[in-house]
Amino acid sequence: MSTIMIVEDDPKINQLLQSQLEKYGFRTVNVEHFDRVMDVFLSARPDLVLLDVNLPKFDGFYWCRQMRQESKCPILFISARESKMDQVMALENGADDYITKPFDYDVVLAKIRSQLRRAYGLYAPQEGERTVEVSGLKLFLERMELSMQDQKVELSKKEALLLEALMNQYPRVVSRERLLEKLWDEQFVDENTLNVYITRVRGKLKDLGLEGAVETVRGSGYRLRTIWEDGQ
Amino acid sequence: MSLFLRDQWAFAAFFLVQLILLILIFAMDGYWNESLIIYVVFLSLFFAGAFLVVRYLTHRTIYQRLSKPVESVEELTQTHGNAALCRALDENCLEHYRLYKEQLHAYENKQRDYTTFIQQWVHQMKTPISVIHLLLQDEDDSTAESIREEVDRIKRGLETVLYIARLDRFEQDFLIEPVSLRCMVQNVLAENKRLFIRNQVYPEVKIDEQWRVESDEKWLSFVLNQLLTNAVRYSSGKSNKVTIRAYERGASVLLEVQDYGIGIPPEDIRRVFQPYFTGENGRKYPESTGMGLYLVKEICGRLEHSVEMESEVGVGTTIRIVLSAVVPILQDRKLPES
Repeated sequence: MSTIMIVEDDPKINQLLQSQLEKYGFRTVNVEHFDRVMDVFLSARPDLVLLDVNLPKFDGFYWCRQMRQESKCPILFISARESKMDQVMALENGADDYITKPFDYDVVLAKIRSQLRRAYGLYAPQEGERTVEVSGLKLFLERMELSMQDQKVELSKKEALLLEALMNQYPRVVSRERLLEKLWDEQFVDENTLNVYITRVRGKLKDLGLEGAVETVRGSGYRLRTIWEDGQ
Repeated sequence: MSLFLRDQWAFAAFFLVQLILLILIFAMDGYWNESLIIYVVFLSLFFAGAFLVVRYLTHRTIYQRLSKPVESVEELTQTHGNAALCRALDENCLEHYRLYKEQLHAYENKQRDYTTFIQQWVHQMKTPISVIHLLLQDEDDSTAESIREEVDRIKRGLETVLYIARLDRFEQDFLIEPVSLRCMVQNVLAENKRLFIRNQVYPEVKIDEQWRVESDEKWLSFVLNQLLTNAVRYSSGKSNKVTIRAYERGASVLLEVQDYGIGIPPEDIRRVFQPYFTGENGRKYPESTGMGLYLVKEICGRLEHSVEMESEVGVGTTIRIVLSAVVPILQDRKLPES
């Protein structure tokens, strides 16, 4: 289990990051006294540090230099400043990457994973393999597989994204807008394409014997229903 | 010279009147010696003339400067020579210059403090926005969606404020390098995906991967952001497509954003690049600040890109940014990696 140290002076962001990272199987350490960042760093020996730039007393650049004298662990800056100069400053002070506020969990997680992978080799991504489970239906996001009891189906990336959204929101409705947003990465996705993917996801679920698990809610979106439980 | 003559005209007139007066008084007293009078007149005129010549020669620099149009404040520091009046004038000018510079510095400092304050404030506001953003990430009801929309608006507004504040210090804050147009457009589109989805407008990207241009990616992204925001806003409900394309024209590469929305009335087209101008469309759509296109023009001007615009009411608007392509040799070398 990788340990991630969060150095962020805003308590809410700190707490939100912490709970999100713990949800994905990371151990987190945070700092309460900002003059003792190094003490925490040395005693916790984290595998990766998330470091805010604007901190009371000394700024993140200072702490980054201090940490660099002790360790080569990946350090990611989190800052509201998005100018090129600030990013260059961060990298020159020994950081490995830079995340600008406001950020998405997905981005933070992706960057953490890629840094861990780069620093500690390929065994690392196994932990923090994201899985979502709803009443026995299990989605493996790295492998892009969906399993129910001992049956398995492979998914495409977009299908996995759709299922992730539906399963995370279970039992609530996921709006079409939200799904479109999730699917949009390189290329935009229009309404018709979304319909196509929904049909494919339904097909995959049918392969697992879960016909009708994705319900259309008129005028708002889609909802996952655990019909297999109702039936039992 | 002409200023000198105008300046000394009263003295010359006064001198002549006095001379005639003296001769008349002597004449009325009965004293009349023609040759002596001619001699006196000649002698007086000679000394008066000599005085004027010396006067002109010693104060020439002042007259010359006063009759020349002022070109810069620095002229106040020029010296004029050794005559008492010249020295007094020099000192006085220098004093003015110093005072003026002091005040200017005070204002510059104030302005800089203010800009710094604005930038810091905007950055501080990003923390609460991040918190709201994170809190909403797992929520998906209509209230959350509505809050997300408003947060996006705040973000957009803050971004604009930040860039306006930065514009003052543009010279220290840009970096020209090869920018891959397709890559940049895709990033900007991804940032704006909620805007597109919410307005049910979809982007159509027709950009060849090869296009690289000389520009600053951050500023150019901001420009594109403004153009896309406008395109989507004025398409909403009328058309569901915005086309972004790049193509070459001579030695330039054009980045074009075309919408099929409401268009701009011809009487407004010339003025849309003025600050605070919102025009007829601005009155119909509440979110217009009149700053978007002004900033586009300003930024493009500073990056040495030009902006072209065509629009027809009911048909749509096309905006083009004329960029210079990266030298082909570099381009070829970079192609394999993509």
